[in-house]
Amino acid sequence: MSAGSRLLRSELRLVLGRRRNQVGLLALAAVPVVLAIAVKVSVSEPGPEAPDFISSITENGLFVPLAALGLELPFILPLAVGIIAGDSIAGEANIGTLRYLLTVPVARARLLAVKYAATVLFTVVAVVVVAGVGAAIGIALFGSGRLTLLSGTQIGTGPAVLRVLLAMAYVVVCLSSLAAIGLFFSTLTEQPIGAGIAVIAVNVLSLILDQLPQLDWLGPYLPNHYWASYIEIFRDPINGEPLRSGVLVALAYALVAWLAAWARFAGKDVTS
Amino acid sequence: MSLLTDHPSVRWAAPVAAACLIGGGVVASRMTASADTELPTRTAAQLLNDVQSASVPGVSGTVVASADLGLPALPGPAGRGSSELSSLISGTHTMRVWAAGSDRTRLALLGSNGESDVVRNGNDVWLWSSQQKKATHLRLPAGSAAAHHESVPATPQETSRRILDTLQPSTTVSVDGTTSVAGRAAYELVLEPKQSGSLVKDVRVAIDGKTHVPLRVQVHSTRISKPAIEVGFTSVDFGRPDAGQFTFNPPPGTDVTTKTVAPQKNSAGMMNDVAGLLKATKPNVIGSGWTSVLTARVPEQMPGQKSGENGPSVDQLVGMLPRVQGAWGSGHQLQGTLFTALVTDDGRLLVGAVPPQTLYAAAAR
Repeated sequence: MSAGSRLLRSELRLVLGRRRNQVGLLALAAVPVVLAIAVKVSVSEPGPEAPDFISSITENGLFVPLAALGLELPFILPLAVGIIAGDSIAGEANIGTLRYLLTVPVARARLLAVKYAATVLFTVVAVVVVAGVGAAIGIALFGSGRLTLLSGTQIGTGPAVLRVLLAMAYVVVCLSSLAAIGLFFSTLTEQPIGAGIAVIAVNVLSLILDQLPQLDWLGPYLPNHYWASYIEIFRDPINGEPLRSGVLVALAYALVAWLAAWARFAGKDVTS
Repeated sequence: MSLLTDHPSVRWAAPVAAACLIGGGVVASRMTASADTELPTRTAAQLLNDVQSASVPGVSGTVVASADLGLPALPGPAGRGSSELSSLISGTHTMRVWAAGSDRTRLALLGSNGESDVVRNGNDVWLWSSQQKKATHLRLPAGSAAAHHESVPATPQETSRRILDTLQPSTTVSVDGTTSVAGRAAYELVLEPKQSGSLVKDVRVAIDGKTHVPLRVQVHSTRISKPAIEVGFTSVDFGRPDAGQFTFNPPPGTDVTTKTVAPQKNSAGMMNDVAGLLKATKPNVIGSGWTSVLTARVPEQMPGQKSGENGPSVDQLVGMLPRVQGAWGSGHQLQGTLFTALVTDDGRLLVGAVPPQTLYAAAAR
């Protein structure tokens, strides 16, 4: 395992050390900052039509991370995860380093596991950056204190932070299924940007299909149908059903996509 | 290992097998859910009695309500994802319900960005809207245990009880085997109009095999294949819910309206309103049972309506409906899946669960 863990550490250094990825994380972090400042300086408060948690921001700064996650979850976070996952194998193949990587004494399945783990950890970092920056600026501008749930019940700061952490964990699990799909696409091509675009295409297609009322029956089987269900954590009591379904759907997509990536990558003749 | 080295494509069996197992699992769980419905035979009369005498310590669960009434899209909150109570008339909505006896109930309408709650604890009723950040506190007079119960939006129990009470005389009531609702075996009670010529094909009530609590109500139209109205549990538990579910304390900063409901005065006022309305509209029922048609005069002034305040006025809405004419005259028609309405140019309103032709015949009289 030591070879594997050293490999994982070097992968993480690679993913998090790349200047372009750091710039991407900065862009992700800008959303909660812009959102919080915009709400703070605007004269009128957001009305009841404001999406998700935005109308509650002025009451408690802890709603800023939730609103920011809600804004970034449909497109921006999948974009970030898709590009990193698409880069994982195809990026190495593209610049000709894949064959050297394969000389590391670990099996290809483990190499694939390390690549996937690095992508998932990047997802964790991205979600923590968005939520962390959001919580920091939210509490600085609007303060914290007791948090009002959607059901009208109030909870203390401690339980509120726990619920935000739970929501972050749920979002990470959801995005991890997309990371596995990206890993599979990444084994198919030597063009990292192609694999990244394919992930985004899957995400957007799934979003569109989910909007069509005629395809209601299909919704629960789409990869991102349950993503927005992190809102269910903020009801009293927590509405566990959609969350459970969301985790199961994410695990199913992750498993199938990961096995497909393995089937492709373990038997692939690497020439670049 | 040598098999995999010699035939790399064999590896594809793994993702394919995983996909098949997961897909098969989903299908199998649905099959067993609908197959495991063995229940002793019961007649319709027995079932109706069972329902009346059903008693459980409490009910909690998730209810999905969907309505496809064929209504034109109205301006305002509607459709799926809205958490406003008024949006229930169209689209699909998910609710969570808790009940412990008839005077302790809570209903939460879940929206994609909010929640509306109706919490009743004894004589206190709270209405809460997370999107409006508004709470309304209704105080019911003491001793009116069931007074306000009627206006709390429909749980399956209530919906089916109302339907059974009103529709028995003109209706064939039978038991159509068993079905599965919320993973529980249930009897399916079918109410079918005895006359032909109604838009209502049948009403199906699924009654839990063990507790005899109605779990689902479907109203089928003759015009569409899927139910026009469906209210049913997707998960249900018959344990007594936690007492904390029935307490509501408005969060600080909430706009709270308190109203005290005084029954005598209020109902007298309402009777006057109703009497005035009856005088102005001269309602009349033509036909009987499922094919009856209600005719009325459209009043000059709609009660309680202030024009231009909440979107378009009634006149404008009527004007948007398709125009029809015939030997009976001319007017605007609304053709829904379960009912048809006709507003004639000479100021009459005809409504019935019937096709337009029946309304035209009634209009010609």
